[in-house]
Amino acid sequence: MVKAKKSALVLLMLALALTLALSACGKSDDKEETKKEETTTASTDETKAEDTTKTEPAPAENAAANLKEYKLVFTYPGTPQKDEAVIEEAANKILKEKINATIDLQPIDWTAWEDKVNLLIASREKVDIFFTAQWSKYAVNVGKNAFLDLKPLLEQYGKDITSTLDPVFLDGSKINGINYGVPTDKELAAQGGIVYRKDIADELGIDMSKVKTIADLDAVFATVKAKRPELTPLYLLKGETFDSHYLGNFDALGDTAVPGVILKDSTDTTVKASYDQQRYVDTLKLTRDFFTKGYINSDAATTTTMNTEALKAGNVFAITQSLKPGKAKELETSLGLGGKLEQIELNEKTVSTGETAGSMLAISTTSKDPARAMMFINLLHSDKELNNLLNFGIEGTHYTREGEIITPAAKAADYSPGAAWMFGNQFLNYVFNNEAPDKWDQFRKFNEGPKVSPGLGFVFNSDPVKAEVSAIVNIDRQYQTALETGSVDVDKVLPEYKDKLIKAGVEKIVAEKQKQLNEYLAAK
Amino acid sequence: MAIRSNLRKYGMFYLMMLPGFLILLVNNYLPMAGIVIAFKSMTYQHSNILLNFVDSEWVGLENFKYLFKTSDAWIITRNTLLYNSLFIVLNLIIPVIFAIMLNELRSKFLARFHQSIIFLPYILSWIVVSYLVYGLLHDKNGFVNTTILPAFGVDPVQWYFKVEAWPYIMPLVNTVKNVGYYMVIYMAAIIGIDDEYYEAATIDGANKWQQIMKITIPLLIPVMIIMTLLQIGRIFYADFGLFYQVPKESGPLFPVTNVIDTYVYRTFIAMGDSGLSSAAGLYQSTVGFILVFLSNWFVRRIDKDSALF
Amino acid sequence: MEAPVERAPSKPVNSLSPVGDWTIKIIFFIYSALCIFPILLLVMVSLSNESDVIVHGYKFIPTKIDLSAYKFVFSDWESIARAYGVSAFVTVVGTALSLIVMALYAYPISRPDFPQRKFFTFFVFFTMLFNGGLVPWYLIYVRFLHLKDSIWSLILPLVMSAFFVLIIRTFFSTTIPAAIIESAKIDGAGEMRIFFRIVLPLSTPVLATVALFSTLNYWNDWFLSLVFITTEKNYSLQYVMYKTLTNIQYLTQHSDAIAHIGGATKFPSETVRMAMAVVGIGPIIFAYPFFQKYFVKGLTVGAVKG
Repeated sequence: MVKAKKSALVLLMLALALTLALSACGKSDDKEETKKEETTTASTDETKAEDTTKTEPAPAENAAANLKEYKLVFTYPGTPQKDEAVIEEAANKILKEKINATIDLQPIDWTAWEDKVNLLIASREKVDIFFTAQWSKYAVNVGKNAFLDLKPLLEQYGKDITSTLDPVFLDGSKINGINYGVPTDKELAAQGGIVYRKDIADELGIDMSKVKTIADLDAVFATVKAKRPELTPLYLLKGETFDSHYLGNFDALGDTAVPGVILKDSTDTTVKASYDQQRYVDTLKLTRDFFTKGYINSDAATTTTMNTEALKAGNVFAITQSLKPGKAKELETSLGLGGKLEQIELNEKTVSTGETAGSMLAISTTSKDPARAMMFINLLHSDKELNNLLNFGIEGTHYTREGEIITPAAKAADYSPGAAWMFGNQFLNYVFNNEAPDKWDQFRKFNEGPKVSPGLGFVFNSDPVKAEVSAIVNIDRQYQTALETGSVDVDKVLPEYKDKLIKAGVEKIVAEKQKQLNEYLAAK
Repeated sequence: MAIRSNLRKYGMFYLMMLPGFLILLVNNYLPMAGIVIAFKSMTYQHSNILLNFVDSEWVGLENFKYLFKTSDAWIITRNTLLYNSLFIVLNLIIPVIFAIMLNELRSKFLARFHQSIIFLPYILSWIVVSYLVYGLLHDKNGFVNTTILPAFGVDPVQWYFKVEAWPYIMPLVNTVKNVGYYMVIYMAAIIGIDDEYYEAATIDGANKWQQIMKITIPLLIPVMIIMTLLQIGRIFYADFGLFYQVPKESGPLFPVTNVIDTYVYRTFIAMGDSGLSSAAGLYQSTVGFILVFLSNWFVRRIDKDSALF
Repeated sequence: MEAPVERAPSKPVNSLSPVGDWTIKIIFFIYSALCIFPILLLVMVSLSNESDVIVHGYKFIPTKIDLSAYKFVFSDWESIARAYGVSAFVTVVGTALSLIVMALYAYPISRPDFPQRKFFTFFVFFTMLFNGGLVPWYLIYVRFLHLKDSIWSLILPLVMSAFFVLIIRTFFSTTIPAAIIESAKIDGAGEMRIFFRIVLPLSTPVLATVALFSTLNYWNDWFLSLVFITTEKNYSLQYVMYKTLTNIQYLTQHSDAIAHIGGATKFPSETVRMAMAVVGIGPIIFAYPFFQKYFVKGLTVGAVKG
């Protein structure tokens, strides 16, 4: 009897396992179905794209024809755009013809970006191209084997990249001699400062030309606060503060999530934890002073509203930004604040790994067709039509064009991702009418004469201290933002933060970084 | 033969249970197999998660060692246990008092009115509750800082950074949200008490206080035990909504608001560290499991009928 | 079973002294006021003028009533209607599914003559004691069931609740007389027929209770959206409220709405947040009297029947 019962159970379990397997397969199909039915408003592109393949097969003489059609998934940080589906459809026309691929753009909100990327990687979702950068856990994700070694792909499918891109970029983004990301061809030097509301400064009669350092802003913010109490003089949030790498000129040597920095504008090659960098600590104190004076948004430590969005919402006077010539003008267009923004540089122009690895496209190890992904990146670097389409939308709909100069059209707000610096080759971009017509010449001039960080070209390999690094990510989450936004008392909290970091092994990381840097410098 | 007769006789039963069984299998049992992730260091060279899993290196107890090396393990365990213990006590005392008091109100209308209001927070989501708390505690605009504190001449407080305040705020919020639920249960139990007890007590000259202490409370004890036991069984599981939404992810508050559930969530979602997160999850499941058994064993020794299983 | 308050609280002869009665009244008035105050505050702020809020903070009495926050919220009514739709769909389908699946599971394990009763009871009970944790659970849904960003990922995880299954089982085995089932069997009725024609109709009290809890769970859920949902069309109401509270960008990205209120620079972010909350809570408050009545009844059943 007992035996019989057991075997009945086994039988049952088998049957169930089978049904389960079947239902699991069935479900993914169901999902596609429901998805299609549900898409009433947005992104009918998928179905449309499929329709076109059915009706017009690729011409036989086309090089793309011997490739099987493939859908590329491309994810990057940015606010999702209303007309994304329209752009995808237009891009697919170009891509079909050239590489027989279609594109699925998956922008992720700025403040959700890092978390979502972690999830995408941890759950091995099918993504072909990831945006990555030294300030966006490039080295950490490489350590997780999330990105492919690009060398063979670059040689075979990336000819237009290697021929146009300054070798300094590719060299300066290698980890252990291997490229895991294709850097964007853009300005090489970096500078940081603020972007502020020019119209408000004019209205209040503030002379912004006198502002040279962060401390000079005190008087400016005081005036703004006194005369326009409804405004937030300075909007800060996680990663966008006076202590951000672009303002403090801190060179984290490959990944800002990993502690241990040198100063880009100094010749000293001693790696220090940030709490040991005098500039970092001084800036913390200054920020705290601003915070207690009420210049800074009080929810800075917890908000997830990106600073550009806050600026767009209108109650903010200034935000911190990484700058280049015409940055404020670029923002004006993407935020719909024409003629209202201006920028001020607050530090010395530098070049470091932070810039060469400051904006890259990596190919995911989950890509089913890495070659096609590289072909797409290659097109972003060489195909003017495609590049401008993804950046500015469709001519006549989102902008009108005269030669290289474009003007926002009526529907410009429906597609303005402001992501030109992420998509391939920025020198292919059209220039907006509010920008300097010689923008690219200015860029080239900007590239001249920066201070070169002693660590340029070196990217830290965090593998030996992986465990320590991930512990520190958690501690940073607790302290870093609160400190850097001035939300908490520096004298009280900084020692606590330091203590925790030391316990978590920050010194081991710094020592390892120093060791690798020394080896690199010696080899050089 | 026995299989056949069993199937013929109860085949319909198996069919009836099939949907529920499948859901349990997928939603609860398959993940249990996944706890081995806690003993691996996951890397991702393949696009298939199963292959990655197979190829990932076994690291034994490394993830656990690591978890307990940091002060986090201690902090989250302490917070989870202390808060939950406090919640259990508050969810016992206040609702019982409220239920007895409401039951004694002369006006039926008022009793119903107050019951409605006290119960209302229970049906609101944690999102809504976090809005309500935000409205009160926001440091620039919040009602406490703009109106209440100035009235007493106290300087505004940055509540979302004020570590010392949250060990009081959390129990307060939790109690306000849940008191209605327990109160209604205890009221139902009080209504179930036979009026003859009270009549006899009145004849004997017992006053209200004596009636409450000698009749109402003793008769409520079985319900109190069940409600408390149910909560003790979950003492190692914090209410994620309360600890995640209400303090608004404010970093400086982590020492007093980080609990096992939020830690598991953050290590996985924010750090993408599936090994460490799984280790913390397995720690929670295992200790939680032991605690349920211990408390049940304990209750069984005192009163067999009140035990959960 | 009557709701508690619908019966006379105590025998009039044995009622409280007026002083005691007043003390209790005052205590409850204060407590109720404290409960309701934050909600009213939210409503008042949503009706305030943005610049007043920025200068004076959240005030209980607005200096003047300003509806621009609502104008803004409703200029983008499609996305709110959509979120309501998602929440309603998930709640209705989820509750119905959950009820039927749990009752179907509970019935066989309530039957003393079913030999595998113990195994299947343990199978469901064990899920209350032990679980695999977030990581494997997430991976199963995303990688195995491919339910990421699907509305079903908001439904499926909450369908089976071990606790409710056991409650339903207890109700079945204690309140439904075995004799009825026996006689139905003798009349030749199949198990399905017995279940739907006899067991379910006799079990409406417990089913109603479970349905109410289930409704509440589905309606109030935001965690599943937080982990699974990526595109806006699948945002539930709770998730939209969550996004608005932490990230006002969710609203500013709707450029039409911005244009509607006269340009990006006049965006009333503080009051809009609160208006969004009011829009989210409003219907619940209206449904509350009905809801509460049945809820209290249901809880009473639960408490008495165990």
